[in-house]
Amino acid sequence: MSKIQEIYHYRTMIASLIKRDLRGRYKGSVLGFAWTFLNPLLQLGVYTVVFSVIMRSGIEDYYLFLFVALIPWIFFSSSLTGGSSCIISQKEMVKKIYFPREVLPIAHVTCQLVNMLLSLIVVFAVLLVSGKGINPAALPFLVPVVLVEYLLALGIAFISSSVTVYLRDLEHILIIIAMAWQFLTPVMYSIDMVPEQLRPVFWLNPMSSVIVAYRDVLYYKQIPHLNTLLVAVGLGIGLLIIGWLLFGRLERHFAEEL
Amino acid sequence: MGVMTDEKNAIEVRNLKKGFKVYFDKGSTIKEKLVSKNRRKYEKREVLRGISFSVKKGEAIGLIGHNGCGKSTTLKLLSRIMYPDSGQIEMRGRVSSLIELGAGFHPDMSGRENIYINASIFGLTRKEIDRRLNDIIEFSELEEFIDNPVRTYSSGMYMRLAFSVAINVDADILLVDEILAVGDINFQEKCFDRMREIKAMGTTIVIVSHSLPQIEQICERTIWIDGGVIRDEGIPKYVHEHYLKEMENKRLEILEREERKKAEEKQREKEQREQEAKPEKEKEDPGQEKDQEQQPEIPAQQPEQENIQNKPGPEEKKEELPPFCSPLSIRIGNKKIQFTDVKLMDTDGKEKTVFKSGESFVVQMDYKSDEQDLLGNFGIGIFRDDGVHAYGTNTLIEHDSLVPIKEKGRVVITVTDNCLLPARYMLDVAIHSKDGIRYDDIRNIIPFRITANKKDIGLCRLDNFWTVDGRRMEKREYED
Repeated sequence: MSKIQEIYHYRTMIASLIKRDLRGRYKGSVLGFAWTFLNPLLQLGVYTVVFSVIMRSGIEDYYLFLFVALIPWIFFSSSLTGGSSCIISQKEMVKKIYFPREVLPIAHVTCQLVNMLLSLIVVFAVLLVSGKGINPAALPFLVPVVLVEYLLALGIAFISSSVTVYLRDLEHILIIIAMAWQFLTPVMYSIDMVPEQLRPVFWLNPMSSVIVAYRDVLYYKQIPHLNTLLVAVGLGIGLLIIGWLLFGRLERHFAEEL
Repeated sequence: MGVMTDEKNAIEVRNLKKGFKVYFDKGSTIKEKLVSKNRRKYEKREVLRGISFSVKKGEAIGLIGHNGCGKSTTLKLLSRIMYPDSGQIEMRGRVSSLIELGAGFHPDMSGRENIYINASIFGLTRKEIDRRLNDIIEFSELEEFIDNPVRTYSSGMYMRLAFSVAINVDADILLVDEILAVGDINFQEKCFDRMREIKAMGTTIVIVSHSLPQIEQICERTIWIDGGVIRDEGIPKYVHEHYLKEMENKRLEILEREERKKAEEKQREKEQREQEAKPEKEKEDPGQEKDQEQQPEIPAQQPEQENIQNKPGPEEKKEELPPFCSPLSIRIGNKKIQFTDVKLMDTDGKEKTVFKSGESFVVQMDYKSDEQDLLGNFGIGIFRDDGVHAYGTNTLIEHDSLVPIKEKGRVVITVTDNCLLPARYMLDVAIHSKDGIRYDDIRNIIPFRITANKKDIGLCRLDNFWTVDGRRMEKREYED
C-alpha cells in the first residue's frame, strides 16, 4: 500500500517521462508533433490501397475493419516489446537514483496509451469523413474496454521489463511472440472465420475479446458483449498482480544486474 | 521497519553486509544461462562486511576510503538504489541523493522543461517544482538561456543546471557522492556555500568524497571504510591524517615492491648475461661482482620489513613525533637516514615563523644515519593552507647532485627573496634516494606565515611595472 502511495507521489515523474517521450520523439523533424497523427493516417492510406485495390477481401470496408483493430493492437504489442527494454534503457538512472522502479513500466505503458488515444482521434475523423459514422450509444463502452486493455498491458509490461533485466534475450524473443500473438488474435480476420471448435481457446486469449470489443464499437457500431470481456478483466487483474509481485521481487537487484 | 534506538538519530545503520556476485564470464543471454549452466562460475565478493554507524539529525559526516572499499556501496544502500544482504538501515525523514546529476535530461528540450523532468525524478511534484523554479534558475545563473534547448549548452552550463536542480531539492537527509567538482571555481564556491546553508538549516548530510579538505570544511565526523569495515571514525582532521599516512605507506609498499622486482630482474638479467658470457670455468668467482650488483637490492628490501613494524595499528592514531615537528606533521619513510632537527630561520640564524614577502629564509636540516655509503636527495616543499602546492625543489633538481651521507650532517637551503604572497603555509622536508625511496619524509613540519604591505593577490608576486602613455609609473601621481 505504501508503495502505491509512493508511486502516486512520483506522478509528476511519470507525467514528465511521458511528455519527454512524446515531445522528444518527433523533435527536430520538420512536421514535429503532427507526425503523431500523420503516422496512423498514412498507415491507413497504405491499407486502403492494398486491401481495396490489390487484395480484395470479402469484408466490407476491410481497411477500416483492420484499422480499428490494429490501433489497439499496436498499443498492446508496443507495451509488450517496448516495455521489456524500458528498464534497461534507463540503466544510468536506475543505477544512480532512487525512485520507485514501477514508474518506468507505468510511464511506458501510459505513453503507449496516450499514443493510441491520439491515433483514435484519427480513427474517429476517418469514420466520420468516410460516412461510416459513429454510434454515440456504443461509444461510452470504449472506456471500460480501453481500461481493461491498459490493465493487461501494464501487467505484461511489469513482467517483461523486470525479467529482461536478468535475461536480455527476452527482448528479442518477445518480438517473435508479439508477432505470433497478433496472428492468433482476430486483428486481421474476423472471429467468425475461426473454426467453431477452436473458439473457446481463442476466448482464453484476453486480447481476442478486447479487440473484438473495439471492433464492435468502432466498426459494427454496436454495444460490445461485455460478458466476453469478463475473462479479459479477470486475466488483466491476475496479470497485474503477478506482474506487480514479480517486479517487486526482481527490482531489488536491478542496480547490480544492469 | 525496525525501531530507532535513539530519537536524535536521523540515520541508523546496523551490521550492514553486502556482497556482489562477480561472474568470470557474465552471461545474461539465454544460451549462456542454459547451455553453460554448470560452467557458470562466479565469485562472491564481499564489499561490506558489517558496518554500523549512526548519524544525528543535522550532523554531516564524510565517508572516505580508497576505491572499492565500499563507501559508494554504502551510499547506494542508504539511498535505496541497492538492498543489503543483511543488516538494517533506518532513516528518518525525506531522503534525497545527489549521486547522479542531470538524470533524464533531454538535449532537445529547453532548460526549463528539463528542470521539470529532472526534479520530478527526484520525487518532486509539479507544485513543488513550480515553487522552486525561480530559485533553481537563479542559482544556475542561466536566466538568459533557460528557454534554449539543453543541447546548445556548454558542458559547464549543463552541469550548473543539473546541480542547481539537485541542490534545491529539499530533504531531511542529503546523500552526496563526489559532486562538488562542478563548473568553474566561482560556481564551486557557490555550491559549497549552499551545502553549508543546507546544513545550517538542519539537514543531515552524508558525503562520499576523495576531497578531504571539502569534508573537513563541512563535516563534523569522518568514517573511514577499509576493506568493507569501518577502520577509523572521528574528527575529520585526525582521521584524514591517519588515512593519508596509511595511503602513503601503501603507495610506498607498492613502490618498493616494484623497485625490488626491478632489482631482481636486473639481477637475473645480469646472471644470465654472466652465464652466457663466462661459461663454466669462471664460475668460481662470481662473489665480488655479485656483491656489488646486489647493492641496489638492499634499500628496496629492508624498508619493507621496517614498514611492517612501523605500520600503525587500527587503534594507533599518531606516531610519536620529535619536538621539532608540529603536531600536524605526518612522518613517513624507512628512516635509514633521519632528520634530527629542522629549523626555519631568517638569514641571521634566528628561528622565525612569520616572514615578509620578499624576505629571505633558511631551512636548516640536521640528519643522522647508520649507513654511510648512501646518497641522499634533500628536498623541501611549501604548501599553502588550502593545500595548494606553492613550491618544491631538491638538490637533484637544483644542482643535479646528491648529498653523500655521513654519520651526521647538516644541509641548508637558503631561499633568497621569497615571492610568496600573504597566507599561511606549511613546510615539508624530505630525504629520498635517487630513485625516490623515502628515507625520511615529514609533511607539515613547520607552519609559517607570510605577510606583506602590498595588496596584490594570488600565490606569488610577479615583479612588474606599469607604463602609461609611454611613461613609466613611479609613485602616486594624483591628488584626491
